[in-house]
Amino acid sequence: MKISKGNNFVLGMIIILIFSAFILTKEEKLKFEIPKGWPKPNYDLKTNPLTQEGFELGRELFYDPILSSDSSISCSSCHLSYTSFAHTDHRLSHGINGLIGTRNSPALINLAWNTSFMWDGGVNNLESQPINPITSKIEMNSSLTDVVKKLNASAKYRKLFFTAFKDSVVNTQKLFRAMALFTGNLISCNSKYDSVMRKEKNVQFTSAEAKGYILFKKNCSSCHTEPLFTNGLFENNGLGMDTALKDLGRMRITSLSKDSLKFKVPTLRNIEFSFPYMHDGRFKRLSEVLKHYTTGVQKSKTLSPILDKPIVLTSDERVDLMAFLLTLSDKAFIYNANYAFPKNNNK
Amino acid sequence: MTQLKLYFIFILFTVLSSRAQKNVGTLIINIHPVFDGKELVLSENAYVNANGDSIYIDTFKFYFSNLCLSGTKPFCEKESYHLIDAENISTLSFTLKDIPIANYSELSFEIGVDSLKNTKGVLTGDLDPIKGMYWAWNTGYIAAKLEGHSKVCKTLHNAFEFHIGGYLQPYRSLRKNKISVGNLQISSTAVNTLELYADAAEWFKTPEKIDVSKINSIVLPNKQSVMMADNYKDMIKFKK
Repeated sequence: MKISKGNNFVLGMIIILIFSAFILTKEEKLKFEIPKGWPKPNYDLKTNPLTQEGFELGRELFYDPILSSDSSISCSSCHLSYTSFAHTDHRLSHGINGLIGTRNSPALINLAWNTSFMWDGGVNNLESQPINPITSKIEMNSSLTDVVKKLNASAKYRKLFFTAFKDSVVNTQKLFRAMALFTGNLISCNSKYDSVMRKEKNVQFTSAEAKGYILFKKNCSSCHTEPLFTNGLFENNGLGMDTALKDLGRMRITSLSKDSLKFKVPTLRNIEFSFPYMHDGRFKRLSEVLKHYTTGVQKSKTLSPILDKPIVLTSDERVDLMAFLLTLSDKAFIYNANYAFPKNNNK
Repeated sequence: MTQLKLYFIFILFTVLSSRAQKNVGTLIINIHPVFDGKELVLSENAYVNANGDSIYIDTFKFYFSNLCLSGTKPFCEKESYHLIDAENISTLSFTLKDIPIANYSELSFEIGVDSLKNTKGVLTGDLDPIKGMYWAWNTGYIAAKLEGHSKVCKTLHNAFEFHIGGYLQPYRSLRKNKISVGNLQISSTAVNTLELYADAAEWFKTPEKIDVSKINSIVLPNKQSVMMADNYKDMIKFKK
């Protein structure tokens, strides 16, 4: 085989083209930045690289009731951006035809760092999570086959999938990777707490907040570990089983009695907005939560050992701890225009 | 630039030479669903299980994965996940490619899906969750499904239902096994085939004899699912 000078030229051009394409795409990329001092995210961003188009598609899907069998329920029906993607006012979330579920929809914050999903941790990957509400008879009551069929029949979505993945044929992988690009990028790292930790100019804890932070580290942080404010583990926090729901939590997944009544430790970020609290939404106010941890913990075999001795807080200390918890509110997250209902929804 | 040129020549040479030599062959694997060696006809034919009960089988599906042939030149299929469905004839035959020309005596395989693939999010092909062999609420593949009915089952529609899955200890469903395949010769010219039985009767036999009047619903990872996986572990047999 001979290589002529002409071939050399072609080869050179190809290499230049490859490099220029790389530079061009690099400029367009949305960036996923790990906030300073945070651990590495758990979600594998290499297999599903972040792009503006992928994120926008995921956002479109998140707000579109097309995912439910009668096009009445979207993800945002139970996960509202203005409440940190929780379902305010509803202890238990309601789905299709007004049916009521058995758990309180959690806030969607910093999900790329989650090691598991759902209150019982039954789901192990951000991509697989939405399969649950979509196929649940009491949430969206649809099937993967139906959803994929509906999306493939939609000119709008075929176009959006082509823009995001260079292929207009919708399959489950593209669908859930797009959704993961949206949900995995709902990042809250701009609360007052964060500013104080970053030692930003003119931002300091008030004396109540500072005292509250010390109390927090002493009493709460072994489970609600900074900076994510959860250790990602499962604990029985002494709530006592609701006799109507009879929810065994983690044990439903593992079938192990040692996991009875354990639920995933939720993040405390944006706790101000994500009421009601606990897996069954039994507490409406933060003050009730503090009351539970100080005087309401019920003993049982699987109770978290840390809660064996009651937490003792004076009424002043409660006020201080509350003041600290409110520093975890991130208004920039709540009002982030990129997270809200897409404006050009009818294209 | 010279180095790059040499690299391309090398690649071209490798591709050409491998084609010229044709030192690999293919193998068509055909799966025959049976019950105790008799052809399995879903829903229509009754079979007698190890406990002596007359039963009908309505669904028989499983993942047949990580196939390897051992012999003089060991071979393992890459991304080896085959969803076998007794109802869907197109799943009962598939082809292994690029097997080195050699003699093989043993086939090793897994029934189910390895834990790695259970944590990788949403996958495609036979591992696409749309195939219905996937639990959403407790992430993971269903390794094998056997559904049927029998008069002895005092259940709705006399149905029994075994959905066996779970990738975490202590209730792991994945089962490895190996079987002799006689003297399997892979050549580059002939159509090489391997005929295997998938015997649903094994679900009811050993080590635990299953009485469907008592055990008729296993739908999550637990002690019973582990027992069932141990039972069906040897359902793949070499058809001599």
